[in-house]
Amino acid sequence: MAVVSWAKPKHLRKRKGSERLKFLIGGGLILASVVYLLVSGTLQGARYFITVDDLLKDGAYEGKTVRISGAVDGETIEYDSENAIIRFEIVNIPGEFDDLASALRAALANPAASRLSILVEDEAIPDLLQHEAQAILTGALAPDGIFRASELLLKCPSRFEETSPEGLSAIPEHN
Amino acid sequence: MLAEIGPASLALALLLALYAAVACLLGIGAGSETLLRSGRNAALLTFPATLLATAMLVLALMTEQYQISYVWSVTDPQTPAIYRFTALWGSQRGSLLFWSLLLSLFTFGAIALNWRSEGRLMPYAIATMMASLAFFLGLSLLLENPFERWWILPDMPESRQVVERALIPAGAIAPARENLAASATGLNPLLRHFGMIIHPPMLYLGFVGFTIPFAFALAALASGDLSTGWIQATRRWTLIAWIFLSLGLILGGRWAYDVLGWGGYWGWDPVENAAFLPWLVGTAFIHSVMIQEKRGMLKTWNMALVIATFSAVMFGSFATRSGVIESVHSFARSEIGFPMLAFWALMTLIALTLLLWRWQRGELRGEQQFANILSRETMFVLNNVIFIALFAAIFWGSFGLPIISELFMGVEVTIGPATFEFFVVPLFIAMYILMGVAPLSAWGATSARRLGKALAIPLVLTVLSVLLLIIAGTGALVSILGYGAVCFAGYVALFEIYRGARARHRGLNENWLRAVTALFRRNQRRYGGYVVHLGVTVIGIGIIGSTVFQTEVQHSLARGETIAIKDYGLRYDDYIRAQAVDGRMMNIAELTVLRQGAQVARIRPRVDDYPDMPMTIAGAHSTFENDFYVLLLGGNRERATFRIYINPLVNLVWWGGIVLIIGTVIAAYPKVIPARRVRKREAEDSR
Repeated sequence: MAVVSWAKPKHLRKRKGSERLKFLIGGGLILASVVYLLVSGTLQGARYFITVDDLLKDGAYEGKTVRISGAVDGETIEYDSENAIIRFEIVNIPGEFDDLASALRAALANPAASRLSILVEDEAIPDLLQHEAQAILTGALAPDGIFRASELLLKCPSRFEETSPEGLSAIPEHN
Repeated sequence: MLAEIGPASLALALLLALYAAVACLLGIGAGSETLLRSGRNAALLTFPATLLATAMLVLALMTEQYQISYVWSVTDPQTPAIYRFTALWGSQRGSLLFWSLLLSLFTFGAIALNWRSEGRLMPYAIATMMASLAFFLGLSLLLENPFERWWILPDMPESRQVVERALIPAGAIAPARENLAASATGLNPLLRHFGMIIHPPMLYLGFVGFTIPFAFALAALASGDLSTGWIQATRRWTLIAWIFLSLGLILGGRWAYDVLGWGGYWGWDPVENAAFLPWLVGTAFIHSVMIQEKRGMLKTWNMALVIATFSAVMFGSFATRSGVIESVHSFARSEIGFPMLAFWALMTLIALTLLLWRWQRGELRGEQQFANILSRETMFVLNNVIFIALFAAIFWGSFGLPIISELFMGVEVTIGPATFEFFVVPLFIAMYILMGVAPLSAWGATSARRLGKALAIPLVLTVLSVLLLIIAGTGALVSILGYGAVCFAGYVALFEIYRGARARHRGLNENWLRAVTALFRRNQRRYGGYVVHLGVTVIGIGIIGSTVFQTEVQHSLARGETIAIKDYGLRYDDYIRAQAVDGRMMNIAELTVLRQGAQVARIRPRVDDYPDMPMTIAGAHSTFENDFYVLLLGGNRERATFRIYINPLVNLVWWGGIVLIIGTVIAAYPKVIPARRVRKREAEDSR
């Protein structure tokens, strides 16, 4: 009569243990690689997102790649299409605000707000680069006081959102 | 009238949704079939009620009811009819209503298809779907009402200021229609594009669609019915949502490529990333759910993925719609930020608590254990790890890092596109390699020898392709690695289809066409999956080609002058100013594209002057090999400046997208027709 044991044979137990070890080592290596990827990428590519005021007040930011946001002054926009050079000025908008459209308008109406000259090279002029647009720029402040941007993003909230009709005739169409 | 019927139907839909949720929960508690049916019927009725509200807004848009402030803000008298219609999702208020409409439609579909088959889950699922619908309807009714109108209050006729109110203020008068029409803002010109007609609905169908799998998961957790029923219902709804989200993402890329004028289609903007995140988790779920179906494993993990997908949709909507994240695409800052954050947190918390409860009770324990490192289930888990790592990296860069740095350092820290690429390129290469290896390994256990044998032919083909690329002059290591991984995944998919068809061709003596058709028909999920993999391969080839090998130059040309760029020539022929039917002035440059001295195309890049902004429209000559893509930067009849891009293989991104959709439709389609046939046969038998 055959002897049947419910205990797992030794070689199978050992095999299961070694597979588990393989899973643990494999999993650990993958996790470590992903964490390394995220940490090294973040350390290399991280940029402070600051206001024009922060940039101008703190000398430590000069020459460092940072991201800034400001209100575009439409009258200062110059575009040299032949050489693809865009120049304009942005005005400081505070870090915290309730309504972007009003914050942009208020910033441009404030003569005391700090201003920054922007230079963007080798870029096609974006359609949204207009007065009262919010410019989000990545680049560095050069010693000549001009911010050389390598990336330019724009938002025009006042054009399409949250506005109301002004100068309406009070003559009612119906009551 | 429209402004009265609209909010009334919205309110009715809200009441129905609330009633349905409560009736279903009470019905479960009391075990009352009558209450459950009543809840179900109320849930079904939310669709016609929301449809009526949406129809009122569409009617208002089409008939130029400018007193309704939404109509005033997204259309003007010059807006063409098609964009009047698409203005429904052109801005926050309309798109929230549209979201509710789609959610009520999905709920209608889920009840119609699953009420009989998933009787135990449906009351919980309906309660979840209705809670979600009630939330969005509540937002539309209370905070972002698309039916608000402009009014002049009795005490301010002289100031000529207007106020926006849903209900008529006492003694208020309506502003004159012609004045409202004259000052109407019109749809953002950037949204006047074919891609924008169908991109948002597809994206929303994807987002909203993920509510249904979430509802079923929550129903399974709440009811304790954790058998395969919820998985079957969830898998198909996930695939449906996934198809739409994939289509939405691809169309969004196409719109950016055509309209935004920077020669690219993905900018790693937080809003784009917010749409990509649920896709990543959803894709992980579509794969890992197979392990649960085949091996009864990863039950907790699958639940977590369904919850994470819905949670990612809600978080993305919050980030985009609240205006808290700086993005070129985001909506204006609005009051819905906090409610959306609260709703997201509440739903996620409820789901995670239920998950933890069931897990603690041991009801989600796997039926098998991972036994072999080369088994298909291990490969699928690895695939999940890659997707979750991609999710973590993109979430970290888009939201985690900016939010945490702001909270703890007092200054926001962000990363740019280059860092996102640094994160995702190695992960995508790993994903493509796994796409190749996983289908060849077996469930349970695979020996290295057997796997190696199966991999031999695709590997040889991959090495040959890579050698050909090197001989052709491809030097960049990242592109060689990338193409190697992408080709490998594609060859495996093709080889597997070929192997299956060959077996039928030899064994059953079928001709090749019949063998392939029968193969797909017999196992639509598996072979549909291979077609999806082929689509992803084609997209991968297109992405590497159009990013690594893109040429970008700028030239100023005198009229009649020709310049050479690579093997292309570009001649500036003329400059025309013309007025379009909607009143905008168009500045059009006429150019001739030459190749090896012969004229191959005439293109017309242009700049349209809208009242508020110009809009640059590229002129492109598309071939299989590349896109010759030209932007007009400025100039006059005598001289004009152009930015020229040569984007190799970019069209493969769109064509690959089509293949991917076809594959998903094949994979999602099975069993519906047979089930109907069986029912029909049963009905005939009973007669």
